[in-house]
Amino acid sequence: MKPATTTKIDLSRLSKKYMLEIILFCIVLALVFTAPGFFTLANILNILRNVTLSGVISFGMTMVLIGGEIDLSVGSSIGLSAVLTATITGALAKAGIMPMETGVFVAMGCAILVGLLIGLWNGFLRTRFNIPTFIITLAMQNVVYGAAALISRGFPVTTLPDWYNWIGAGRLFGVFPVPAIWLLIVFAIVFVIMNLTRFGREVYAVGGNPESARLSGINVTKVKIIIMVAVQVLAAIAGIILSGQVMSGSSTFGRGYETDVISAVIIGGTSLAGGVGKVWGTFMGIIFLGVINNGMTLFGVGDFEKYIVRGFLILFAVLFNTIQIQSLQKARISK
Amino acid sequence: MSVLTVKDITKEFPGTTALDAVSLSFESGKVNALIGKNGSGKSTLVKIINGAYRPDHGSLELDGKPLDIQDPSDAFGKGIATVYQEMSLIPGLSVAENILIGRYETRGAFVDWKRTYAKAQALLDEMGIDLPLREPVMNLNMWQCQVVEIVKAMSFRPKVILLDEPTSALAQQETQMLFRLIRELKKKDVIIIYITHRLQELWEIADTSTVLLDGHFTGRVDMEGSKPSDILKLMFGNVETKSRPADLEISDETVLEVKDFTRKPWFEDISFTLKKGEILGIAGMLGSGRTELLRGIFGADKVDSGTVVLDGVTIERPSPRSMSKAGLAFTPEDRKSQGLVQVLSIRDNLCHACLDAVSPGGFVDGKLVRDYSGRQVDALSIKTTDDSLPMTSLSGGNQQKVVVGKWLNACPKVIFFDEPSRGIDVGAKQQIFQIIWNQSRCGISSVVVSSELEELLEVCHRIIIMRFGRFVGEVRPEDITIEQLYSLCMGGETR
Repeated sequence: MKPATTTKIDLSRLSKKYMLEIILFCIVLALVFTAPGFFTLANILNILRNVTLSGVISFGMTMVLIGGEIDLSVGSSIGLSAVLTATITGALAKAGIMPMETGVFVAMGCAILVGLLIGLWNGFLRTRFNIPTFIITLAMQNVVYGAAALISRGFPVTTLPDWYNWIGAGRLFGVFPVPAIWLLIVFAIVFVIMNLTRFGREVYAVGGNPESARLSGINVTKVKIIIMVAVQVLAAIAGIILSGQVMSGSSTFGRGYETDVISAVIIGGTSLAGGVGKVWGTFMGIIFLGVINNGMTLFGVGDFEKYIVRGFLILFAVLFNTIQIQSLQKARISK
Repeated sequence: MSVLTVKDITKEFPGTTALDAVSLSFESGKVNALIGKNGSGKSTLVKIINGAYRPDHGSLELDGKPLDIQDPSDAFGKGIATVYQEMSLIPGLSVAENILIGRYETRGAFVDWKRTYAKAQALLDEMGIDLPLREPVMNLNMWQCQVVEIVKAMSFRPKVILLDEPTSALAQQETQMLFRLIRELKKKDVIIIYITHRLQELWEIADTSTVLLDGHFTGRVDMEGSKPSDILKLMFGNVETKSRPADLEISDETVLEVKDFTRKPWFEDISFTLKKGEILGIAGMLGSGRTELLRGIFGADKVDSGTVVLDGVTIERPSPRSMSKAGLAFTPEDRKSQGLVQVLSIRDNLCHACLDAVSPGGFVDGKLVRDYSGRQVDALSIKTTDDSLPMTSLSGGNQQKVVVGKWLNACPKVIFFDEPSRGIDVGAKQQIFQIIWNQSRCGISSVVVSSELEELLEVCHRIIIMRFGRFVGEVRPEDITIEQLYSLCMGGETR
């Protein structure tokens, strides 16, 4: 009798732990058999390409949420980064300093640098004056959007060299989408940082209980500033990828992306309260949203309906997590 | 005049008898102090009177009529009001709104503010108090908040008012302001029960003192004509204080030197030295600045001035980071909010103070993490089947061991223990003491702050006494009784 019960418990624990993966697998399986053209290499690579933009930022946002903060300004930062890259490339070429082919490297560097400075500013306000990042980044969302619109005068900027299209729309060996490579690289880096480095342990500790972390000798200020910088740098990189995809930079890029990003992270099991979350979970969350979106497109579901479905998905994911945590606590108390 | 009588009340909790057939009475028109050391049963008695607990046996009587209380709201309805030390006021609302909350004067569906404020003013006038009625409570001083609490309680015209350590968060001058109000209360026909741990206050505010010890009523003293020793005898009885193991040696080598530490208004000009292997206790009443001093030396709070020399290295501006690197450890008094990250695993928590050691080159070495964690789980016998379980799976005593283990992993030279035995059972307490002694045997010194004086007498080599932020004396446990130590802590005026 006894061994049977043990395996049962283990199975239920395993299924709880990998619930998202199991649900995702079931949906994929269902789509394979029902959705026309779902299970083709082209379509699967397409899904990967489509989730790149929000995906790249999601990994940064995972660090931010685990660290107990939030960044609502990442959407605007995509636009600013795209506008800066195109505008600076154009300006360098016009002034005769550098041709667009090489000037774009300088421009990308500048865009990333600006992202870094925005992150520093957010982190500085957070740690120096103890203002919630929700409010700081809500305000900065407007500032950054305004700055991007001002620089581009509201029009798309198209001064980009032809090769630049490769970054956002190229295919490796003619098949594998280049943007998906950036996604995998960012995933790998953030995964290593959060799971294998000292800094990763510090982010969890700071998000779980900043006072305890501080009294343990962890530099809470440094950790919080670094995560706020990381997510902004990743938003700048997403802006570069997007401008490569459409070969222009516009301040309207990325509007509302913060919702997608935060949704993916939360569906992946990261807690808004800080200290709890997994980078792998975020990866699953991104793919999950991507597959659902793709499936709906294949079935011809309209854009408006897609919003409703996505909204309810987020609600159910959070509801599910909350219920699971509560039942765990109840089980512990009754013990 | 009315009388509240407690008849033969017994209350048992798993493992202890909190109150054992206690019978006593409190009269109106005077301030009845209720005193006793921690664990004497005074808070249990308060909770029985205000309905938070039901007694296992015995009854309450008010003016000879039996008083059967079901729960706190029932007690409230029967005229028993409690003013707790932690505030129940709403910071954003005004003084008047707080006093009359839920009982505003209305006209139809709307609040009649004019009449509401007039009613609040009348209540203040009645008690001879002057407070800014329109001021949000968050802008008031601590003592003013206490006054608002008392006015609010009195506005219900209670027959009994319980004041639970109302002065514990107040400075000395503020205490005087509060006392003025309490003396005013004596003129009303209300039974005032005043719970305190500050012995020195008794002669100022109380008319009688009722003393509890280990769940027994040990006596009642009229303040007039009595001396502190009369009460101390009742409070402590004939306790046998245990002493530390005989083999604990102190070396001649100084490991920690604290010079002229000041952080006004918490403490001023504090200096002391600590030898290798020594266990130093800091005794003092709540609010004497003990905890703040430890936090200041560790760098958890900024201090006005002072230098620390740890193991020969002078540290100018201490921060938790620099101090822990230099070899100082600090287990805070509130382990849940300051000592641990509850959502993370036991293993993670055990490695928070030694991240340098377990992550050479910035990368965490999984094997080192398991080694460091396993070492403390074994050495401190932390009761768990798996150290990857969350902190919440542990009992209070075992959580405290994790806090200690976290710091032992950082290989400190000196450990500060702030209230190491708070909220843990007797067995776990002894284990924590064993850990402190074992560290001393390995040459690691400790500074222990505790409000349980008998613990300091049991654990330490030497005890420093703090009163109102200053050092007032230094004693050895073998030369002093607990009553003497207590009177040194509360102030010398022995009459």
